[in-house]
Amino acid sequence: MVFKMLDGNEAAVEAMKLARVQVISAYPITPQSSISEKLSDLVAAGELKAEYVRVESEHTALSVATTAGLTGVRAATATASNGLALMHEILSMTSGNRVPIVMPVVNRGVAAPWTLWCEHGDAMAQRDMGWLQFYCQNVQEVLDLTLLAYRVAEDERVLTPAMVCLDGFFLSHSMQKTQVPEQRLVDDFIGPYIRKNTYIDPDDPMFCCDLTGSDEFTEMRYQQKYAMDNSIDVIEEIENEFEIRFGRKLHIVEGYKTEDADVVLVALGSMCGTAKYVVDKMRQEGKKVGLAKVTVFRPFPVKQLKEVLKGKKVIGVFDRSAGLGGQGGPVWSETSALMMNENCDIRNYVGGLGGRDVTIDNIEKIYNELLEIKEGKRTVHTEWIDLKENPMELRQVTKNV
Amino acid sequence: MISIKFYGLGGQGVVTAGKIFSEAISLYEDKYAITVPAYGHERRGAPVNTSIIVDEKPVLINSFVYHPDIVLVMDSTIIDKDIDISQGIHENSILVLNTEDVNVVNTYKKYNFKEIYYVDGTQIALNNIGRGIPNGSMLGAIAGTGLLTIESIEKAIIESFGEKAGEKNAKAAREAFERVKKM
Repeated sequence: MVFKMLDGNEAAVEAMKLARVQVISAYPITPQSSISEKLSDLVAAGELKAEYVRVESEHTALSVATTAGLTGVRAATATASNGLALMHEILSMTSGNRVPIVMPVVNRGVAAPWTLWCEHGDAMAQRDMGWLQFYCQNVQEVLDLTLLAYRVAEDERVLTPAMVCLDGFFLSHSMQKTQVPEQRLVDDFIGPYIRKNTYIDPDDPMFCCDLTGSDEFTEMRYQQKYAMDNSIDVIEEIENEFEIRFGRKLHIVEGYKTEDADVVLVALGSMCGTAKYVVDKMRQEGKKVGLAKVTVFRPFPVKQLKEVLKGKKVIGVFDRSAGLGGQGGPVWSETSALMMNENCDIRNYVGGLGGRDVTIDNIEKIYNELLEIKEGKRTVHTEWIDLKENPMELRQVTKNV
Repeated sequence: MISIKFYGLGGQGVVTAGKIFSEAISLYEDKYAITVPAYGHERRGAPVNTSIIVDEKPVLINSFVYHPDIVLVMDSTIIDKDIDISQGIHENSILVLNTEDVNVVNTYKKYNFKEIYYVDGTQIALNNIGRGIPNGSMLGAIAGTGLLTIESIEKAIIESFGEKAGEKNAKAAREAFERVKKM
């Protein structure tokens, strides 16, 4: 096991290389990340034996990867924000055809307004497309969860594609000290791609994914739901195996100092690191706060999150997406449904949009509000936690006519 | 935990400097560093900065540095571009500045850093690599504060730039390390 300094994009590439992906299709323009560029370098240098297909759009990138996967190879692509939005139609082709692609998604806001910076709105918009979703706290988790995702996605009890979500810039461009396992260990863990379903063979042509009537469609969807339900136990099982092989523990939901906590914040992504720091800091001041870090958002980890939140009276949920028109952000909605029969107060916080930094101060502010709510000193909370004053008077465009 | 902020102009290699510095800390000093670069709509000559956090144990924080212990300025004219390099500093904050012009150093005194380390990194870069890109040399200057050894910086530079360009940049770093003055 060696240490390397990697940014999140490099860690994703390292994991895909270690998994020996065989076909890569990518559309190499903004909002693509350096992932496709680095994979192309590896293929050109002969360090990765894969077919690299440069396509004309993200829609085609996933179409090529999905159909390549249907021939029985480990296929790959990567995307972000508007690129993921353009893949929308094909996401369902991948999952419905049960092609277990693992795809890094660099989380960025979806335009407009144009942005290249971090938020979870892009991946959250695709949350019901039948893909597993993992959210990473740090660069090490980008590498580890990508490796894990191959095993889970390709497991015959699951056969469902997976997004490994890494925060734009805060992970994709953040350099961190990362343990990189030896190829031999990863080969033992993941192994070569073995097809477990029907496949497309040019020597024996067949039509795949034709019109399905209402007499079968429901059952096919149910099979996907069944796989999603299965996957949570499979993730748990493979996380245990991962720990034995690589010595690092991964969690579906990590309760950080939650056991005796008066209030708990539910969050995902890179802000969880900062939140852990704030938990440690506030506990030194005698404030009993805790963090529920949700790594697996799809399937939603009902059992695991309920266990961590059990008995908590005041809970905050931090959504890094706006959840426009909803009662709150998507993580808050799920958490509220999870706790519907519990006697607790669940507050929705929205922040960190379009690259706005989720700061120590703002997380501390949330915890202090939750503590005040718990003590009966406060009723309302600051829903948009990092909103500027006078948001309606941001700026005006002067017309010349 | 030490929080650091590098300021410079687009084209000076500020982000690359952050990368090499964090490699020196993480791979050759047995510590942990994380960089959080503040990318913007970059263009050559526009002000850029990068945040770096260093600790003995893995760094949890994934947020920009708002209260730097050390500020490195790659281009002294940055303060004319509406950038306050003293934002969030405290009584023990240290400045590392790319200049040997005492008048410029005096201008920077108004920010009340505890110590100012200064050296002409651009001239040293010109002497050693033939181009006025001061990122290698200024990494040598930061080693002059005692935060890390010059050997770690040299190793990380050679690792990043490759043998040929690396040797020249490492020489620039060594020269800046030896020439840096304290005020």
